[in-house]
Amino acid sequence: MALFKKKVARDESYYLASQWTLMWRKLKKHKLAKFSLAVLAVLYITALFADFFAPYGLEEFSSLYKNTAPTKVYWQDEEGNFSRPYVHKLKKINDKKTWTVIVTEDTSEKYYIDFFVEGIEYKLLGFIPCNTHLYGLVNEQGEVDRSARINIFGADSTGACIFSRILFGGRVSLTIPFVSAAISFVLGILLGGISGYFGGIVDNIIQRIIEVLSAIPSIPLWMALSAAIPPGISVSAMYLYITIILSFIGWTGLARVVRGKFISLRKEDFVMAAKLAGVSDFKIIVKHLVPGFLSYLIVNLTLGIPGSILGETSMSYLGLGMKAPATSWGVLLKETEDLVSVAQCPWKMIPLIFVVITVLAFNFLGDGLRDAADPYK
Amino acid sequence: MLKYIGKRLLLFIPTLIIISFVIFFIIQLPPGDYVTSYVAAMSAEGEVFTPEDIAYLREHFGLDDPWFVQYLNWIKGIVTEGDFGYSFEYGRSVWSVIMDRLYLTLAVSFIILLFQYGVSLPIGIYCANHQYSAGDYALSFIGFIGTATPNFLLAIIIMYYIYVTTGNVYLGLFSTEMLQNGMRWEYVPEFLGRCMIPLIVIGTSGTCGIIRTVRAQMLDEQARQYTLTARAKGCSEATITYKYCLRAALNPVVSGMAGSLRTIFSGSTVSAIVMNLAIQGPVLLTALKSQDMYLAGTIVLIQAVLVLLGTLLSDIALAWLDPRIRFSERG
Amino acid sequence: MNDTIIEIKDLKINIKIDEGTLTAVRGVDFEIKKGETLGLVGESGCGKSLTSKAILGINDKKCKAEGEIIFDADNLGKVNLLSLNPRGKEIRSVRGKQISMIFQEPMVAFSPMYTIGNQINEATLLHITKDKKKAKEISLEVMRKVGIANAEKRYDQYPHEFSGGMLQRALIAMALVCNPKLLIADEPTTALDVTIQAQILELMKELQKDFGMSILFITHDLGTVAKMCDRVAVMYLGRIVESAPAVEIYKNPQHPYTQGLIGSVHKIGTKNQDRLFSIEGTVPLALNLPAGCGFYDRCHKRIEGVCNVYDPSLVDVGDDHKIACFACTGCPNAKEGQGHE
Repeated sequence: MALFKKKVARDESYYLASQWTLMWRKLKKHKLAKFSLAVLAVLYITALFADFFAPYGLEEFSSLYKNTAPTKVYWQDEEGNFSRPYVHKLKKINDKKTWTVIVTEDTSEKYYIDFFVEGIEYKLLGFIPCNTHLYGLVNEQGEVDRSARINIFGADSTGACIFSRILFGGRVSLTIPFVSAAISFVLGILLGGISGYFGGIVDNIIQRIIEVLSAIPSIPLWMALSAAIPPGISVSAMYLYITIILSFIGWTGLARVVRGKFISLRKEDFVMAAKLAGVSDFKIIVKHLVPGFLSYLIVNLTLGIPGSILGETSMSYLGLGMKAPATSWGVLLKETEDLVSVAQCPWKMIPLIFVVITVLAFNFLGDGLRDAADPYK
Repeated sequence: MLKYIGKRLLLFIPTLIIISFVIFFIIQLPPGDYVTSYVAAMSAEGEVFTPEDIAYLREHFGLDDPWFVQYLNWIKGIVTEGDFGYSFEYGRSVWSVIMDRLYLTLAVSFIILLFQYGVSLPIGIYCANHQYSAGDYALSFIGFIGTATPNFLLAIIIMYYIYVTTGNVYLGLFSTEMLQNGMRWEYVPEFLGRCMIPLIVIGTSGTCGIIRTVRAQMLDEQARQYTLTARAKGCSEATITYKYCLRAALNPVVSGMAGSLRTIFSGSTVSAIVMNLAIQGPVLLTALKSQDMYLAGTIVLIQAVLVLLGTLLSDIALAWLDPRIRFSERG
Repeated sequence: MNDTIIEIKDLKINIKIDEGTLTAVRGVDFEIKKGETLGLVGESGCGKSLTSKAILGINDKKCKAEGEIIFDADNLGKVNLLSLNPRGKEIRSVRGKQISMIFQEPMVAFSPMYTIGNQINEATLLHITKDKKKAKEISLEVMRKVGIANAEKRYDQYPHEFSGGMLQRALIAMALVCNPKLLIADEPTTALDVTIQAQILELMKELQKDFGMSILFITHDLGTVAKMCDRVAVMYLGRIVESAPAVEIYKNPQHPYTQGLIGSVHKIGTKNQDRLFSIEGTVPLALNLPAGCGFYDRCHKRIEGVCNVYDPSLVDVGDDHKIACFACTGCPNAKEGQGHE
């Protein structure tokens, strides 16, 4: 016998706002999630406009720069006065004592860092012809000089700029998890929905398949599946294969959740009402059941993305995923395969920082979304 | 309870059949077979094969049949004779190849499992009891980093660090002297040191995950009404934490045990390759690459069976922990 | 007074939330005498549960209590419970033994992981005897006393095997096993069926006679108050607005809020056409309280320029009847300092 309903005096808009608006409002309060969202936005934008942000294209490498450390940037001239930041070119010299070739800086000339310089031609967003790059080097006369290179994160074993490759690799490493998450999403809702809604034999079969797939450790399964990728296929086909392989496991967890939700929702009155009104099964699933827990699924999905990022990295690292000439963060990290190369060129671990940051950002964002989607918090 | 275990064991059989089928199907997916990759490898070294040679090899290895016939033969061999097939690469039975490394693999996985729970339970409880303290933040941060770093790369970082600080290269669990002279007492410290790296590397991601689960669960349980009842009764904080909250919080942790086993197998596969550990991961990789399919299939199958057993064990543990589950099974 | 068991003086409870500090209990005074039942009445969120939990010191860490709660403890003498370490040994020797509590929802008040017997016996073992055999006997005895049939069998059963009413009996058994001086009952019947409610109330009355304890009975239901209590204190927005003997408050409610509460109880014998009286408006949020009386916005007797400027405090109008309302006790003279500004 409640005498009065307790109402908390909040502004009217609170009651009128949709579920999504409420979620967004709560997410905005979650500082870490907001920050992560910003970090991810930066990563995706730089990947999308990699041609512009990267000083060099994927085909631009110089054997002189093979395995060289990050280019030193000088802020002071010989007299110790501050100057425009500049770098030196590298040159080969024969060491007379040891009879080896050493690569050192050629201090005779200075190359200044400049912004919005001309570089290799590319098509922005795939169709706008352009040749401006965010930064590059100009010589003392102010002309673009492509013989000197600035590799802020050092160079890999082919002499390509690691920073540029990270940006281009982001296109693969950042989108594969997304696309495979989308595939998992569709598969999970579809199969989980069918399983939960119809029950019976269909449910049993799907449940057994899920049980089987979730009993096999993911990396061995991925390895086995990627061993099946035919050699010598195009980069885009390879991309497609890896995506499908990664989504092979993601859907099972989601399907389980969807199934559980369906079973509990099936008993709700509004489903019965829709059924009595003659609405088709499919329409009930799509129109009435799925919106009921969509926010929950999106949270699940966000939290699943880090797994596929790490999966792609591991696959490529083992040489079972993306392979050169394709570039992904895993492919880049493949150069750190043995201790010797890490000991000699520690800068080759820099792509790892990007992997960790991305995974962390997705984790934090997922956490924030989870809190925001919970109506009781 | 016994009836329940029996029922679960019976359900094992259909699942096992499907698993073996799925695994075999996936393993034979790559175009070509062992002979193709063998011929390719030998040709690269200058050997010449006539089509007759190749046909003979195929027949010899039984690779002529359609894949499902091969599957049935494989299963027949396993069920009737305990024969898991023949490893082309090693030129002997798959079982003997696996036995070389099985004990070490199991030991490593088991120790990692113990390590994970031994470390993460106390830390998780600490973090929940000291929510938002400096310690909680620091441990949670390390936990996040741990889950976000691919563990094989963590292996390289740790080995690099050891190399830089001590100048030693720790690859594998045994040094060359150990292998030459056999195990001696004076090697024990070094051996333990070598064990620490895979332990940390393979264990970290799982450990961090468990810490987060334990922490969240403990906080959930602490907010429940029964902790208030217990407190009102005069129970000490320790009783509330350990008798009441922990037991309830263990539920998802225990049910996640099979999952941890799975991540350990997953993580150890790649990390073992990087760290050159004599466990099954590296064997699996080469077997997959050279299409040594019975070997690859058996390794994946064994891992899957172990995960299934882990699931069963964790379900039993769960029923023991939580009376509600126990009763629903009985009824 | 010598027979006062507990005396609460100017109790304030602040809760830290994201938006700032919320004063949920704003200066509450009352006392309970030996063998007496005090009803603390108010709607949800008025601070009555916080007040009761503050007595045991089991409020959330976010809540900070100020003021004094003087309890006449067997082992400690007269002691301010708020001054004790909420996690320390002293307060634990009071909890469960001298003051115990039963809760609103018996279904979640027990841990699902342990048998009922185990959980009742825990209190016995903590406070009465370390001898396990003896403890079990005592626990079983109390279980029988609260009307749990077949106590030996029930002792080894889990909470999910109990019905709601039985669980509430078990909870009462757990609270009474150490024969406390004061029992706090926080809406003990709200979650139960009406027939069971009556049984439980009857049981509590009986047990009170047997054990001779005092009861602080917290409820929003004036009907149960009439059955159970000797004295009633009505709480609104963290304050006691009126307190009087139970009979007096039914016969002669003074505060507009109390009048509203009593008017909204359905009485048998009234005509169906008569609508129940309801109090207009909603409780304001305690975060940014306006000056003046908390009930001002909803009050039909409000006096502009007085009630929205000064906050009334409890004034004795005789016969143990206290009211905090300017409209009932006369306007304040600001110079005399009656009421808080």
